[in-house]
Amino acid sequence: MELVTGLIFVAALAVIAFEWVHRTKAALVGAGLVVIVGAIDEDRAIEAVDWATLGLLTGMMVLVGLTERTGVFTYLALRVAQLSNGRPLRLVFLLAGVTGLLSAFLDNLTAILLVVPITFLLADVLRVTPIPLVLVEVLASNIGGTATLIGDPPNIMIGTHRRELSFLDFIVNLAPVSLVTLLAATTLLYLVFRRELVVHPERAAEIQRLDAARDMRKSPYVKRSLAVLLGTIVGFFLHTLLHVEPAVVALVGATVLLVVAADDVEDALERVEWSTIFFFVGLFVMVGALEEQGLIGEVADLVADVTGGSTVGEGLAILWGAAAGSALVDNIPFTAAMIPVVDELGAGDETFQDANWWALALGACFGGNATLIAAAANVAAAGVAERSGHPISFGRFIAIGLPVTLLSLAIATVYLLLFQL
Amino acid sequence: MRTLPDIKLVPASVPSAATFLEAAEALTKHSLPTIAVVGNQQRVVGLFGGEDLLRGLFPGYLAELRHTAFAADDPGVLAERARAVSSQPVEKYMRKPVTVDVEASAIHVAERFLHCDFAALAVVEDERFVGMLNRADFCRAVLRQT
Repeated sequence: MELVTGLIFVAALAVIAFEWVHRTKAALVGAGLVVIVGAIDEDRAIEAVDWATLGLLTGMMVLVGLTERTGVFTYLALRVAQLSNGRPLRLVFLLAGVTGLLSAFLDNLTAILLVVPITFLLADVLRVTPIPLVLVEVLASNIGGTATLIGDPPNIMIGTHRRELSFLDFIVNLAPVSLVTLLAATTLLYLVFRRELVVHPERAAEIQRLDAARDMRKSPYVKRSLAVLLGTIVGFFLHTLLHVEPAVVALVGATVLLVVAADDVEDALERVEWSTIFFFVGLFVMVGALEEQGLIGEVADLVADVTGGSTVGEGLAILWGAAAGSALVDNIPFTAAMIPVVDELGAGDETFQDANWWALALGACFGGNATLIAAAANVAAAGVAERSGHPISFGRFIAIGLPVTLLSLAIATVYLLLFQL
Repeated sequence: MRTLPDIKLVPASVPSAATFLEAAEALTKHSLPTIAVVGNQQRVVGLFGGEDLLRGLFPGYLAELRHTAFAADDPGVLAERARAVSSQPVEKYMRKPVTVDVEASAIHVAERFLHCDFAALAVVEDERFVGMLNRADFCRAVLRQT
């Protein structure tokens, strides 16, 4: 049974990695199979689903979906282009900064879906090639999303699983290293793309003439939406003091916004990406089966054997292993499988285990930049690019994503060695 | 209810080898919201309508945006895009066809109209294209019965 369960999981990962069928179908078929073959019973399968992760994701999707209707994110992107004044250095750093910030406090997938379409329009106005800008945004979103509990799906899964780690713990332990990495990566991206982003002064003047707030002025719910969104973010910071989980904060925020700023509830709830939610359900059940069959324990023992039980060895193995695994598969299923491994590795030593959680978060989130399939945000951006007539090839993404990932991991390694391990 | 051939059907179609421009001209000539794209033996392989025209004439990212009131037109860029898309094959822009059989009931035709994005459907007989049924003509025929 152990072997069958392992094979089902590996087959599902392969199907996801090679995009043979939609990842949600692969995860749900895998989950169905592990239940049918008896690798996990029905009750345990239901228990294996982390409802807090699903609640947090759903709440944020509703919140951001409703706020997006106000035009506030379009305003933000347009102002960035105007503030850059056509200078490539400013444009790259401002775009990376805004995308990184939005990713940290909304989540990176949402941030990408908000900024990439408008970037194509801005690139048309500025008459520059859009793909360098999109790549800057994607890479910045994965780094920015590393900074908080809600910024990137791997962090959401870690934060909701390991409840002792608060929103503030994530910020204190991950935001500084994410900021340094974002600055270093953006500098690299600027050096690579600076010649492609030269804007003619006439075009720079053209973009200054655009009325960035025009759409926002027409929306009746700008103030309410922003107030609820900001209130929710404050709620995340205070969730430990308030004794509520981040998922509850997100769902309360979403409910309040539905009440005060949604004329049509059905329409508002269409913003929930059900395929993503079901993808997580399938993964949780498959990983539950792996745990049930003792495979997770075996992987943990293997890591402990290889590293000889050394704190430094384990932390760095998790960091680089998570990055490699995420690059090859997708950081969401990889993190789902690694969470119980880290649980087993650090059992009985809290401080030691916390360092391992940060190593997992940094490895999975930064590893998300290595290949086109490594993170959901990359796949989403590639989809928009393709529909816009500017497809991003796998090779082109790796050519820039892999160096950025290696740079990020080098910084993370130094950070872990100096401050965590 | 009279059967569909009794309602005005317009034999508006282009072959699947047609270009975007040829399809656009056929659409304008017949004053229909949608025309059929037909392949071998007059089988309907796609429908091409106003929305497809827009998708061809304007950049793909527009469908992802909701807030564009600030945007200004650049006639040069629009003309360049229209030129570029004109020679593209219509197959690249057509959508999956929605067809109804010539013997279909009015209830079925109404249900098809309600559940698709097209304002004209392809009517087929033995899977071969007969003509386009405009939604407005269909509703007019139903009204005339009262």
